[in-house]
Amino acid sequence: MSAEAADQQVKLVSSDNVEILTERKVAERSMLIKNMIEDLGAPGEEPIPIMNVSEAVLRKVLEWCTHHKNDPAPTQDDDADSRKKTTDIDDWDQKFMQVDQEMLFEIILAANYMDIKALLDVGCKTVANMIKGKSPEEIRKTFNIQNDFTPEEEEQIRRENEWAEDR
Amino acid sequence: MSGRSTPAQNGSQRRSQNLSQIRKAQMNDARPQSRNSNNVLTSLRATQIVASKPVLPAELIATILDYLPVPDLMRFALVSRRLNEMVYDDTRWTQKLRNMGLWNENEARQRFDEAVKRKADAQRAKEMDEARRTGANLPGSVNGVAGGGGRPHAGSETLFDAGVEEERHRKSIERAAVKRRATFSDGFDESTTSPGMLKAAWDPSIALNVLKTFKSIRGKARLEFGRVYGALNPLYTDLARCKGHSDALVFRSYRDPEEQAQILANLKRFAQCDSAQGWQSREQKLDSMIGVFENAVLREFEQGYAAGDVDGRMQRYAHVLVTINGGNAAIDAFISNHPVMARNIRAGNPLDCLEAVAPGHVDLGASQAFFEKLASMMVEQAGIADRVFPRDVDILTPFLTQLCEEIIADYLTALFDEAHLKGIETYVKAVSGTFEQSLRFVASLVPTKASPRDFRHAAKVSVTQCYEKHIDLYLLEEMSVFRSKSEAEVGHWEKEQMDQEASSEAFFMSNINRQAAKRDFLSSFKKVVMMPVNVLPAFPLSSPFASARPAAAANNTTAALAGVDTAYSRPRTPTLSDSATPNRISTPAPEPPSTELAAKAAIMNSRLEGIKSLFSIEVALNLTHFAKTSLERAANMVRMGGKQGEEARQQCEIIFVTMLGILGDRHIKNGFDKAVGHLGAYNPRQVREFRAKAMAGEDLEGEAIGVEPLVTFLELVNVGDLIQQMVDVFYAQELVATKLTDRDDFLDPAVKEKKRFEQMLDERVAAGLNKGIDVLMDEVEYICASTQQATDFNPGIDKAGEKNSSTNSGVVDIGPSNTAKQVITMIGGHTSMLVGSTDKNMLDIFMQEVGLRLFGVLCKHFKRQRISVDGAIKIISDINHYSAFISTLRQKPLMPYFQALRELGQIYLVQIDPPAAYFGGPKNGKRVSVFSTKLSKTAMQAKELAAIIADTQRYCGVLTTEEVFEFATRRADWLVVKGDVEGAMYGVGCSVM
Repeated sequence: MSAEAADQQVKLVSSDNVEILTERKVAERSMLIKNMIEDLGAPGEEPIPIMNVSEAVLRKVLEWCTHHKNDPAPTQDDDADSRKKTTDIDDWDQKFMQVDQEMLFEIILAANYMDIKALLDVGCKTVANMIKGKSPEEIRKTFNIQNDFTPEEEEQIRRENEWAEDR
Repeated sequence: MSGRSTPAQNGSQRRSQNLSQIRKAQMNDARPQSRNSNNVLTSLRATQIVASKPVLPAELIATILDYLPVPDLMRFALVSRRLNEMVYDDTRWTQKLRNMGLWNENEARQRFDEAVKRKADAQRAKEMDEARRTGANLPGSVNGVAGGGGRPHAGSETLFDAGVEEERHRKSIERAAVKRRATFSDGFDESTTSPGMLKAAWDPSIALNVLKTFKSIRGKARLEFGRVYGALNPLYTDLARCKGHSDALVFRSYRDPEEQAQILANLKRFAQCDSAQGWQSREQKLDSMIGVFENAVLREFEQGYAAGDVDGRMQRYAHVLVTINGGNAAIDAFISNHPVMARNIRAGNPLDCLEAVAPGHVDLGASQAFFEKLASMMVEQAGIADRVFPRDVDILTPFLTQLCEEIIADYLTALFDEAHLKGIETYVKAVSGTFEQSLRFVASLVPTKASPRDFRHAAKVSVTQCYEKHIDLYLLEEMSVFRSKSEAEVGHWEKEQMDQEASSEAFFMSNINRQAAKRDFLSSFKKVVMMPVNVLPAFPLSSPFASARPAAAANNTTAALAGVDTAYSRPRTPTLSDSATPNRISTPAPEPPSTELAAKAAIMNSRLEGIKSLFSIEVALNLTHFAKTSLERAANMVRMGGKQGEEARQQCEIIFVTMLGILGDRHIKNGFDKAVGHLGAYNPRQVREFRAKAMAGEDLEGEAIGVEPLVTFLELVNVGDLIQQMVDVFYAQELVATKLTDRDDFLDPAVKEKKRFEQMLDERVAAGLNKGIDVLMDEVEYICASTQQATDFNPGIDKAGEKNSSTNSGVVDIGPSNTAKQVITMIGGHTSMLVGSTDKNMLDIFMQEVGLRLFGVLCKHFKRQRISVDGAIKIISDINHYSAFISTLRQKPLMPYFQALRELGQIYLVQIDPPAAYFGGPKNGKRVSVFSTKLSKTAMQAKELAAIIADTQRYCGVLTTEEVFEFATRRADWLVVKGDVEGAMYGVGCSVM
C-alpha cells in the first residue's frame, strides 16, 4: 500500500445513515471494508455502507481501529492453534472495553460482522472475564437467560461436574 | 456433529419469544431503523439462545467459552439447556485433549466403528426381544441405530458404554424430543472413575497414571478430560498459586523423585490445555518449578557420575530426568562430563602425526591411536549408556555428534592446518588417511539398545561432516599434488633424456676420439645393441595379457594370473619389476664403479640406453603409481556420499584423465614422435661404418643385425603396448572395480580419455611402422648391396678371374648366400619383435607390407645381378630361403609373390649351350640360324626358355611376361643367347602370324 493510499480517506455509512470519514488504513483493519474497497476499486468516492452497525458502535470500533492501525495484519492461519497463543488483554484494550454490557455486545457483534478478528478476540475475552467466577444464576442475569432446568437436572449436572470445582 | 450449530436448528420454537424481546428492546432503544426488515443478521438473531438487549450468536458464545477456565465452563453448563449443550460439545473437549497430545483420532475412530457394530448388534437383539415381548414386528430393524436412538433407555445398562455414549451423542441432535434425564444419568453411571469419587478422595497415585490410562472415545471426551482434570488440576492450580517449591503440593504429595518427575511431566502436558486468562504466568510457574526440580535431579546425577555410581544414582536419576522431559539435561550432562569431552583428557595430539616424519609424509599411527582411543571410549560409553538410560532414549547419537563436532573436528582441523603448512603432500595424505581411519572408527562403534536402526549411517554422516569443510580444499590439493608430481617426473625424465640425446649424438660423432675408452664400454654397448633381440621377445610375454606365454615365463605368468588384480595396480610387484629390470640391464649397477674406465662405461651405458628408451616404462609406472595413490586417497573420500562423494568421484576421474594426458601426450607421444624422427633420419651406411669400426676387434660371428632406430621403435611399441595394458588394468582396477566410473558410459570423461589415449598410441605405432618399413627396406637394400658378392650367383666369373686360386670351385655350395641369411635374420628379428605386442590387424598389415616391399627389393636386387647357370642353384636356394621365411609370417596374400619368385629362379637354370657361331659368327650368322628352319640345339633350348618366360601361369599373375623377360636378361650368358631367346619368343609369335 503506497503512502498515498494510506492517507486516503474513506466514507463509511452507519446503519442509521450517518457518514463517517476515516483513514483508509484505519478502516482496513476490517476485512469486510478492506475487501469492499478492493472490490469497488475507487475508494473515497463512494460511501461504504456498514449496514449492521449503528453510528455510536461504529465510532467506537473505529476508535479501536485507529489505535491498532499499525498492528501487523491479521494472519489467516487456522484458529485452532492460535487460540492457545492469544495473550492477555493489554491495558488500553481493557480500558477501551470498560463500557456497559450492551455496548460490549454491540462491539462484539460489529467486530464479528466487520470481520475484525483481534477486536472480536478482545471482546470475547472481556466477556469471558465477566463470566469468570460467577454463579449460574449470576450468569443468567448477565445474559438474561432463563433457567429451563428442573432442580433435579441441575443437581445432576452439578454432580457430574464436581471434578471441575476449584478447591 | 458440532453442537454449536444445534441451537440454530432448535431455536425456532423460541423465535417468538426472542422476537418479542427484540421488539421490546427496539422500542426501548427507540432506534429509527428496523432491524428485521433488511438485516442479514435477522436469521442469526432469530436463532440466538436467550439474550438481553443485544444478543450474541451461538458462534460468538462458543468463542467466549474458549476463553473460560474449566470451572466456569461447568457453571455455564448449568445456566440453560442450550448452553449446557454448547459446553458439553465433544469437539470442545477433544480440542483440549488434542492440545495435551492425548487424543488419538485413529483410536477414537476405531472405537467408534466397533461401537457402531456392537450397537447395531445389540439393537437388533433388543428389537427382537421387544418384538417378542410386544408381539409386534417393528420395521425399525433396518435403521436400527436411529430407531433405537429415539427410544427411552430402558435397556441401556446392558450396552457397552461406548455404545451408550455414541447413542447419547447422536441423540443430542434431537434432544428436544427426548427425555433428558435418562441421557444424563446413563452417561455417568458406568464411568469407572467417577468424578464424584475423585472429588471425595483425591488420590495421588491416580494423578500419576491418569495420562497413561487415557482412552480416546468419541462422545466421551468430556468425561475423559474430567478424569484428567480431576487428577491433575488440584496440583496444577496449587503449583500456580504456591510461592516456593518447598510447599508445592506436588512435592508434598510425592516423595519419590521418579513420581515427582512423572507428575511434573503430566502437569506439563496438562498445562497445554489451559487457554484461559493468565495461562502464560501459570505455565511459566510450572516451567520454573520443573526447572528447579530438574536442576536438583541433575546435580544428583552429576554427583553419581563423579562417583562412578553407574547402576545406582546415575541410572535412577537418568530415568527421572528422562521422565520429566526426555532427559536432554541428563544426556548433556552425561556427554559434557565425560573427561574427553570436558577436555580433561586429551585423546590425542594432532601434531604427533607430523613430528619426526620425513617431509611429504605423515605419521598416521598417531591419528590411528587417537581414533582407536575414541572408539574404545565410545564402546565403553555405550555400555554405560545402556545401563544408565532407559531403552527409548538414544544417547549415543548425540554423544557421537558432539564428539565429532568438538573433539574430532578440532583434532582434524589442527592436524590439517599444520599439515598444510608442512606441505601439500602431507596434507592430502593426512586428509585421506585420517578419513579412512575415521570410517574404521565408525565401523568399530557399538550401538546401544536405544540407538536407532540407522545408527551406523548417522554416525558416518556425523563423522563425514567433520570432513565437509576440508573436502573442497583437499580435492583441489590432491589434484595439484598429482599434477605437479607427475609433471615433475616427466619433466625430469625429459630433461635427462635431452641430456642423454645430446651426449649420445655426440657419442656417435666423437666416437673415434675416444679410442681409449672404446674397448671398455664396447661389451656393454654391444649388450645394449643386442638387447632387443635377447630381451624383447620375452618382454611382452611377462604381461599377463600377451597371447603367447613361453615356459620360461610360466612361473611369472601363473603368479600374474593369480594376482591379476594386483599385478599392475601395484606397480612394485615382482611381475612388473621383472619386466622392467631387463630394460634397465645396463643401468649402473648398485655398487659404484671402481675404476675410472668402469665409471665411464657406466655413464656411457646409461646414456646409450636413452637411444632406445625414448619413453620409459618406469616413468609410466611412476605416473600410474602417483595416480594410484592419489586415486586411492580420493576414492576414500567418495565414501563420504552425497554431494562431496560425487565431487570426489569426479575428482578421481579427473585424476585419471590427467594421468592419461600427461602419460600420453607428454610422455609417450613425444617418445614416439622422436622415434619416428629417428627412423626417418636413419642412414644405414653411416651406422654400419661406425659399427664396423666398433666391431673391428670383435668377432662378427653371431652378430645380430639390427636397425637401431627400428629396434628402438619396436621396443617402443612394446613398451607402449605394455603401458597401454597397464593403463587398462589400472582403469579396470582403480576406477571400474571401485565403482568410481562406469565402463559402459561412453560419455564418461575417463572412458573418452582412455579411448583417446589408445587411439593416439595406435596412430603413433602405425606411423612408426610405416617409417619402420622404409627403414627396414633401406637396410635390406643396403645389406644386399654391400654383402652380395658378384660371385655368389655367377661363380663363372670367379673361375675365370682366379682360376687357380680357388681349390674347390667345382663344388657348389647349395645353401643360401650369406646375404640372404643376413636379410632374413634381420627382417625376422624385427618382425618377431612385433608379434604379441601389436594389434593383430596392424601386425598383418605390417607383415604384408614387409613381404611386398621385400619382394620389390629382391626383384630390384636380382635385376642388378648377373646370374650364371651354376649360380642359379644359389639364387634358387636364396629364393627358397626368402619364401620359407615369408611362409612363416603366415600371410596368405604374400604367397603368390614368392611362389612367382621361385618359379622365376628356374629361368636361370635353363642350360643354353652357346651357339657354335658364337665366337666367330657375326650378327647375321645368328640371323641365319634363326631363319634357318633347322633348329639348332641352342635354338631348342632358347625356345624352352622362352616358353618358360612366356608362361604367365607360372608366375601366378604377379609377374608379366615383360618383367620375366627382364629377369631373363640378367642371365650371365644373355648376350649369347639373347638372339635365340628373343627369336624363340617373338619368333613363335611371328610364325603364328
